[in-house]
Amino acid sequence: MFGLLKAEIRKLWTIWSTYVLFGIVVLIDLAFGFGLALAPGGRHGGSAGIVPHGSSQWFVNVFSVLDVSRILALVLGAIIITGEYRHKTVTPTFLAEPRRGRVVMAKLGVGFGSGVVLGALTMLTGLVLGFVLVALKVHSCMTPFGVSQGMSQALCGVRHGAYYVATTHNMWHDWWRIAPGVALGTGLFAIYGLGLGALLKNQIVAIVVGLVFTLIVEAIIGAIWPTIGEYLPGQAATALEDAARTNFGGGTTQLLPWWGGAAMLLVYGIALAFLGTFTTLRSDIT
Amino acid sequence: MPTIQARGLTKRFGRDVLAVDHLDFDAIPGGVTGFLGPNGAGKTTTLRMLLGLVTPTSGSVLIDGHRYRDLPNPTTRVGAVLEASGFHPARTARNHLKVIATMAGLPFRRVDECLDLVGLSEAGDRAVGGFSMGMRQRLELARAMLGKPDVLVLDEPANGLDPQGIAWLRDFLKLYASEGAAERDGGRIVIVSSHLLSEAQLIVDDVVVLTGGRLAAQGRLQDLLAGSKRSVRVRTPDAERLIQALHDAKLPAAARDGYVVCEGGTPEAVGPIMVENRIEVHEMVSSTESLESLFFALTGGEGMQLGHAAGPTGDYRRFNDGPPASPAASSEAPASAGPIGGQ
Repeated sequence: MFGLLKAEIRKLWTIWSTYVLFGIVVLIDLAFGFGLALAPGGRHGGSAGIVPHGSSQWFVNVFSVLDVSRILALVLGAIIITGEYRHKTVTPTFLAEPRRGRVVMAKLGVGFGSGVVLGALTMLTGLVLGFVLVALKVHSCMTPFGVSQGMSQALCGVRHGAYYVATTHNMWHDWWRIAPGVALGTGLFAIYGLGLGALLKNQIVAIVVGLVFTLIVEAIIGAIWPTIGEYLPGQAATALEDAARTNFGGGTTQLLPWWGGAAMLLVYGIALAFLGTFTTLRSDIT
Repeated sequence: MPTIQARGLTKRFGRDVLAVDHLDFDAIPGGVTGFLGPNGAGKTTTLRMLLGLVTPTSGSVLIDGHRYRDLPNPTTRVGAVLEASGFHPARTARNHLKVIATMAGLPFRRVDECLDLVGLSEAGDRAVGGFSMGMRQRLELARAMLGKPDVLVLDEPANGLDPQGIAWLRDFLKLYASEGAAERDGGRIVIVSSHLLSEAQLIVDDVVVLTGGRLAAQGRLQDLLAGSKRSVRVRTPDAERLIQALHDAKLPAAARDGYVVCEGGTPEAVGPIMVENRIEVHEMVSSTESLESLFFALTGGEGMQLGHAAGPTGDYRRFNDGPPASPAASSEAPASAGPIGGQ
């Protein structure tokens, strides 16, 4: 089993598409994060209007968009299993390990680990983003264009020093309330994607079904029947973020407790993978 | 000493296609066993069942009494070179082999050794996407050899190889099979499927002939060829007279492709008849039956793609042309030769 896990890691990191996927995650995080930070109001600010820069709510908003990376974790999970069929590497794989259930288990393990790494990368990106945003704000009064001199410059420094301390404090606080949840949610979403891939086998179909369901179907169901919506994968993943319950959108979204969300996601992923193992993956490799 | 036994092996795809039909065979260690048959005879399906990739509908094919998927670490027992096996185009050849070596718990030293064996050391760090067909085929062989298996299964290995590659593979397989005999009692099993008979004839010691998913013949190639017929071909402007004369002498004769062919005839028998009847002769060829004509006799003349050296007569026939040895069969529609063609 250890050899299978190592082999799966090797499979993943010996093709450039994996690196591209991770790069895309960082780019999307930065684009969304900056976009939200620089836009008036926030994603979850809603009717509350413009959230003050550097406040706790502001950082929650900036960081909460980072969970978009779980969509790419879903894609990653789906690719891990459907890529074998697409490139027919499934033949040498099952020749080397004909007990197919074990291969799927190894893939689930490596998919989860890679998803967590993807989530951690996302949150590191978020942290860098946060520091850059704070520094930009502080820097704005220090620039030569401000023409602040002598006393006023010192005042500016003190004022913004205090601002810096206060905002970074907010930032750390909110980062901790979101980061672990995003990382775990991303990991579990990779398992979910893997399950979809195991069941559907076709790479394009698995990715499209996963994206359409997560981005469109879930949003519709969640809006019409929130009690059902909270059990769906996307909301279950959001429930993992501590800040989501208190700070997102003023209590309009129903969410499971964090462990409930994790359990739901795990059930989705494992159930789909199990189904896939006993249907699609048992089929003949011709 | 490894054994491979198939008993009642059957595979049905869907309701209509019976790809393999109650097949029994034994692969004999110490030599190369050729799996021969026309396209769609069930060769690939049989080999894939042997390798656990396709689940038999009924019956079994066992390696040392075990199903492939019950072998503890199959990479170290059975090596397989398959046609439709895949490579990730962006992965390098070396990494491709390292993945398999990791799965099987083999040292990476084997990866370099096997790349060297198939002459891909230089290309080892290139992405497989840029490999030629022949290079991919050699990489497949390298993968099969990773675990130093004592059973080697090759499905149409000559495909994509250039003549030098084919010659190399032939020597390699002969050496591999005989090497095993020296190392341990009984030697190794090599199974090669092929539809290129002229090629197979040079490699194989034993043959398993499949047609329509069924066993048509099995045995040592020499034994099968020993009881084979001879024939004489004559090119003459007096074809009708010659045929009549041969018929009068109770010899079978027929005109074909501008020749008069006398099945079972010898030059000693045909020559005096021609002299006696004062028949002008432009060419006279005597031939013994080859694996190819034996094959046509066994499979009832199903559609067959010929290799580069086409048969004993050296003349070239198109794909799905009627076979030379059984004129009756050419009236059948050879194009219908599919997985159920033999039924």
